[in-house]
Amino acid sequence: MSDFIFNYIPVFDLFLLHLGFAFSQYIALRSGVFSLATAAFAGIGAYTAGILSVKLGLPSPVGIAAGVVLGTAAALFLSLPLSKLRGVYQAIATVAFVQIVVSLNIYLEGLTGGAMGLNGIPHTVGTPVLFVAAAGVAYMMWAINRTRLGRTFDVIREDEAVAVSLGVPMARYQTLGFALSGGIAGLFGGLEAHHTYALEPNQFGFTFLIAILSYVVLGGRSSVLGPIVGTAVLIALPEIARPLDENRVLVYGLLLILVINFLPRGIADTAIDRLRLRRVARSGSAPAKAGKAVET
Amino acid sequence: MIAQQLLNGLIVGGVYALFALGFTLVFGIQKILNLAHGAIFTVGAFVSWYVVSLGLPLLLGILASIVVCGLLSMLVEFVCFSRLRKTGDEEFGAIISSIGAGLVIMTVVQRLSNTRVLRFPFETFPVRIYEFAGLRITLLQLFMVGCAALLVLALYILIYRTSFGRRIRAVTDNERASTLVAINPNATYRQVYFISGALAGVAGVLVGLAFSSIHFAMGEPYLLFAFVIVILGGLGSILGATIAALLFGMMQTLTIAFLPSGLTNTIIFLALFLILMVRPNGLFGKEAAGALRGRR
Repeated sequence: MSDFIFNYIPVFDLFLLHLGFAFSQYIALRSGVFSLATAAFAGIGAYTAGILSVKLGLPSPVGIAAGVVLGTAAALFLSLPLSKLRGVYQAIATVAFVQIVVSLNIYLEGLTGGAMGLNGIPHTVGTPVLFVAAAGVAYMMWAINRTRLGRTFDVIREDEAVAVSLGVPMARYQTLGFALSGGIAGLFGGLEAHHTYALEPNQFGFTFLIAILSYVVLGGRSSVLGPIVGTAVLIALPEIARPLDENRVLVYGLLLILVINFLPRGIADTAIDRLRLRRVARSGSAPAKAGKAVET
Repeated sequence: MIAQQLLNGLIVGGVYALFALGFTLVFGIQKILNLAHGAIFTVGAFVSWYVVSLGLPLLLGILASIVVCGLLSMLVEFVCFSRLRKTGDEEFGAIISSIGAGLVIMTVVQRLSNTRVLRFPFETFPVRIYEFAGLRITLLQLFMVGCAALLVLALYILIYRTSFGRRIRAVTDNERASTLVAINPNATYRQVYFISGALAGVAGVLVGLAFSSIHFAMGEPYLLFAFVIVILGGLGSILGATIAALLFGMMQTLTIAFLPSGLTNTIIFLALFLILMVRPNGLFGKEAAGALRGRR
């Protein structure tokens, strides 16, 4: 039994780390910003924590905190120009930002170790810390969904014109969502740096971006369970069957196509809707009408 | 020296134009970012390499690439986009779905090529160097320029001077109204995707010939460059993309020649970012964005 647990601790750690990144992606999409910048914020957080501890010898909590601050700051800075753009343009701008961070991490060799990467980061973060961080962020997301803030995000995402006509200061809310996304990604970037000893610039590139996006798309974009389910499934799949691990990229690709075509709201959100529908149907009030109301 | 670099930039820019035109054409007609375009480009290079390595002439290889990539692009449309367009959420969905298609195609190519880096046999294209007015140009470069110019010109004539082009523009303008004049929008879309894929295929062959490094991930940087080009030219604008591709080619060769090599990508994506902030509709203003629209 202890063997079993011991074997799966690395997988569980990976799950917790990626869950954090998935929440960062989730809160951005939730507030109606089509951002793919989580990879960039994660890179900023990770390199900040790594550099502060390797080059300056600061204790790891300081480095991680600095990562959070810088991640949030980068998001705030980025949100100014981003609020002028919509949809596809936001996606392209944030992809450009990810590329800028990656290429700067390669170029600034003296600071980041360049293409060779940054090595010798003290290993100070274990499973308990990761668990607390992931649980904390999950609780924050849940709390947001329970309050007025969550409902405001819903309105903005469903229809910007309606949101504005209801007197919602849209730019302010989107900035808030985006800053949260940056802070969370910065936090988990810092945790990853202190969890894995070494950083490599391309680690936070296009591949990372796609993986994180897949978690949220697969799981669902509106309930808190979405990112959890998506990350769990995609992290666990390669562990369950060896052939799936060898074809990891192929599986990701096929899942993305299938899910967005046939289950566009993701596993968790679809399941939650089904359950709600069934409950409504059982209680006897006109099921068809109620179904419509739940869907919107 | 500068003149030589500018000439080289123009030649590379011509190939970029072929790639970016297919990308922007699809966006212009359906408002869809086809992120599988880079993978289709890769397939183009591989198909030609395979045909040439069988001992057949290069011209046959190019034709094969055109046909295979055109059909592949139609397949991507059928699998990834046709269903999504009916739901109306294609902006977000198409990006996810085409990322998936790109991953699948790339993995298949990787499997088939065993992750090798291939190159065309040395004698595929005669090495001949011409010199005039102090500028050097190889026969291959002349061929690239010729191909690019011919295809771009053909595309212009096709879209702005033929009844097929009128159909495309009609469908872009108003899909429902076009059905009233007996145009089948879905057939038109399929034809546009064929053209888009075929252009990417030719670009793939030319890049494979010029840089003699054909591998499964070769499309990724070109896809990112295409972002810069189509934004610079205005998303959906054909003239814009052509001019932007030439400008981009020259800008890229100049930065590579005169600035520290690690900074090239930083500068390119920083430029993209700034363009999005200042002129999100591209260099040529609002009218040019989606220029397929509203031109009789």
